Amino acid sequence: MRVTNNMLSSQLLLNLNRNSERMNNTQNQMATGRKLNKPSDDPVGITYSLRYRSELSSNEQYQRNVDSAVSWLDFNDTVMDQAGQIMQRVRELTVQASTGTNPQSALDSINKEIGQLKEQMIDVVNSQLNGKYIFNGQTYDKKPYDLPLNADNTHDTSGAASIATDTGNVNFIVGENVALPINVTGNEVVGTSTDADNLFTIFNQLSAALASGDIKASGDQLANIDTRMDKMLKVRSEMGAKSNRVELMQSRLSDLEVNLTDLQSKTEDADYAELLMNSKIQENIYNASLSAGAKIISASLVDFLR
Amino acid sequence: MPSTFHSIETAKRSLFTQTAALNTTGHNIANANTEGYTRQTVKMRASIPMEAYGINRSNVPGQLGTGVEFDAIERIREKFLDSQYRGENTELGSWTIRSNTLDKLQQIMNEPSDTGIRKVLDNFYKSWSDLSKDPESVTARTIVKENALALTDAMNHMSKQLSNLSADLTSNVEAKSSELQSYVNSIADLNQSITKIEGLGDNANDLRDQRDLIVDKISKIVNVTVTDTDQGYNVNMGGQALVTGFAPTTGINGAFLQAAFASNDLQGGEIHGMIISRDQFVADYTAQMDNLANTLANGDISVTLPKGSVLPEGTVLNGVTYTGTNRTLQSDLTVTVKGLNGLHQLGYTQEDKDANGNMVAGKPFFVASNNGGAITAGNITLNTAIVDNPNAIAASLRVTGTAPTEELVKGNNTLASLMSNLKLNNFTSVSTGNKATIDSFFSSMVGQLGIEAQEATRQTQNSTALVSQVETMRQSVSGVSLDEEMSNMIKFQHAYSAAARFMTTFDQLLDKLINSTGVVGR
Repeated sequence: MRVTNNMLSSQLLLNLNRNSERMNNTQNQMATGRKLNKPSDDPVGITYSLRYRSELSSNEQYQRNVDSAVSWLDFNDTVMDQAGQIMQRVRELTVQASTGTNPQSALDSINKEIGQLKEQMIDVVNSQLNGKYIFNGQTYDKKPYDLPLNADNTHDTSGAASIATDTGNVNFIVGENVALPINVTGNEVVGTSTDADNLFTIFNQLSAALASGDIKASGDQLANIDTRMDKMLKVRSEMGAKSNRVELMQSRLSDLEVNLTDLQSKTEDADYAELLMNSKIQENIYNASLSAGAKIISASLVDFLR
Repeated sequence: MPSTFHSIETAKRSLFTQTAALNTTGHNIANANTEGYTRQTVKMRASIPMEAYGINRSNVPGQLGTGVEFDAIERIREKFLDSQYRGENTELGSWTIRSNTLDKLQQIMNEPSDTGIRKVLDNFYKSWSDLSKDPESVTARTIVKENALALTDAMNHMSKQLSNLSADLTSNVEAKSSELQSYVNSIADLNQSITKIEGLGDNANDLRDQRDLIVDKISKIVNVTVTDTDQGYNVNMGGQALVTGFAPTTGINGAFLQAAFASNDLQGGEIHGMIISRDQFVADYTAQMDNLANTLANGDISVTLPKGSVLPEGTVLNGVTYTGTNRTLQSDLTVTVKGLNGLHQLGYTQEDKDANGNMVAGKPFFVASNNGGAITAGNITLNTAIVDNPNAIAASLRVTGTAPTEELVKGNNTLASLMSNLKLNNFTSVSTGNKATIDSFFSSMVGQLGIEAQEATRQTQNSTALVSQVETMRQSVSGVSLDEEMSNMIKFQHAYSAAARFMTTFDQLLDKLINSTGVVGR
């Protein structure tokens, strides 16, 4: 085959171009740190990559939702703890009042304290987290135990027992199709209108008994106090169980995040060791083709004929 | 007997011929880098020998040589390689354009990235999820609104880029067609010039080079076949004549080429690549994006409304009209609604009550900006009622009481949760009826683009390799080798010198005869 000067130079150019294109590609991967820079780099990989990215984004959102759920549940727990302490004190006072050795003045002062504890309890069941009344179901924009005031600035609780709080669940989405109800309704804590151990019924009957010095009637409330405290403990332990579940969810989500990031990295990220090797090899090849080219191009019969 | 001066004539012919050969060598060297140049050689042959004249046949032995002459200066070229080159070049032209377009499409899709459609779609769902935690909050609503706007903006922008690309391709076809027209005109002109010159018996080598070069160039733009006739090249694109003799086809424009594409005459070359790029690739991805937008807004989805939800007065679902007391669902209800818009209309906004004292139900979330038409990626926009008032976003699926004292349960987040869950919902594509999540529609589109772009890149590389291979073979036959020309030059130079020496020798011979003989006794 005849070989002409043009063939030599165009072949050289072609080779140099091909080599520098490869180098460019390698360098691009090194600069971005990714082997998947556009869909055609890996058409199958890109669909995985998009899925991982999208799942990571969902995961991030679930984690945020779980965090909110945790703070709601923690707040619930705190509030229930306060309610429990109040009940504990009420029980102590009731026991104290029921011994039969108290003069009416003592019963009156016990009654005063019970009154204050009731006020405290009203505050507790009207607790707000971020402006939401946590014991009023989905109608958390409304105060659940919105009681009228008496002349002495205490709350009139005569109708309180009949208040029905909203039964709607406040659901947080904490995973794919996992909706977690995180709220407790006021009625679960306080009791419904038909419950004999409704908190407000207990308070009111206790106050009435103490005011009239009816020690037996006040002692009778002990049983109601105990069942109410049991129920409140049950609610609290449910919250605790839910907290556990959410914490599990939290660690599962962070595990998942690690896994997804790992998968994403395997699909998208470049292998630096390999890239550096390739880059070095390509550099050598490029240099070799340059020096070969320099030799081929310079030598011509013209140089030797005089 | 030869004439006394016969040998001088022989020497002269030799000088002339070697000069012509040297001249051609110079021409070759000068054009070593000229595009499309074919090396030329001087066809030498011994000139017709003569018999000594006389009445009878001369008894002088043999025929008397008269030296050298050249009868032609020829190009050294193989026609077969030309047609092979043009065939491969046509493929290359088409694939290069396709590959370029697909690269641009990849840039438009901009995946994988943190700024593409997928990301804004994710953000959109996320903002609904955040709203589900605070369904009464205007801040969360505003974020939903902003993310929805970001989503529609991204779609609008992509659609705009796609239509720009399509328009670019159309104008490129026009530009290329006028280039093609000027080439076609040149070939007809060259046909005429070449026929005129060659009618006189000469070879119009350089004009032929030019003509072949132009055909090579045309072959990159469209597919060509060439037939060599007495009237010059007849150039055809499929069954469509571009040049017949001295007559170029006039009026080569976009419409002409589009018709040729439709009739299958146009099967390769850059224009073919442009038309395919525009009518297949860009059109396909535009349609897929339009479908994506419309499906998100209106594609059938199956959702489960939890028990206790209250549907807006007069809602019709699965053929059941919900009114009065049956508006409150007694058990979970799985229904098919028309996309995000259909779902949004099942919920209640935080706007003031309507004239009947009912809470206001959600409005279509996405609308077409041109009002009434089908939603496309280009015209999808957020309902202006929502843009103006984020409280018009429906998040709750529950009301209490009855009209006129109906009241919104602000803390109900059912609709917001369902919306954020749409990410996992299968939508039924409005245009194809396929069922998949919006994410899958998008990622399958990106995957398809990746495969097409990869294929186009591979084909481009293949045809580049083929073209350069054929071109190498062609260069091997027709290219100028400086080494070869240099050795020829020396060959001809020596021949010239020798012929001149021969003339000198003969000159001395005659000098001897004329000036040095018959001088006895002088």
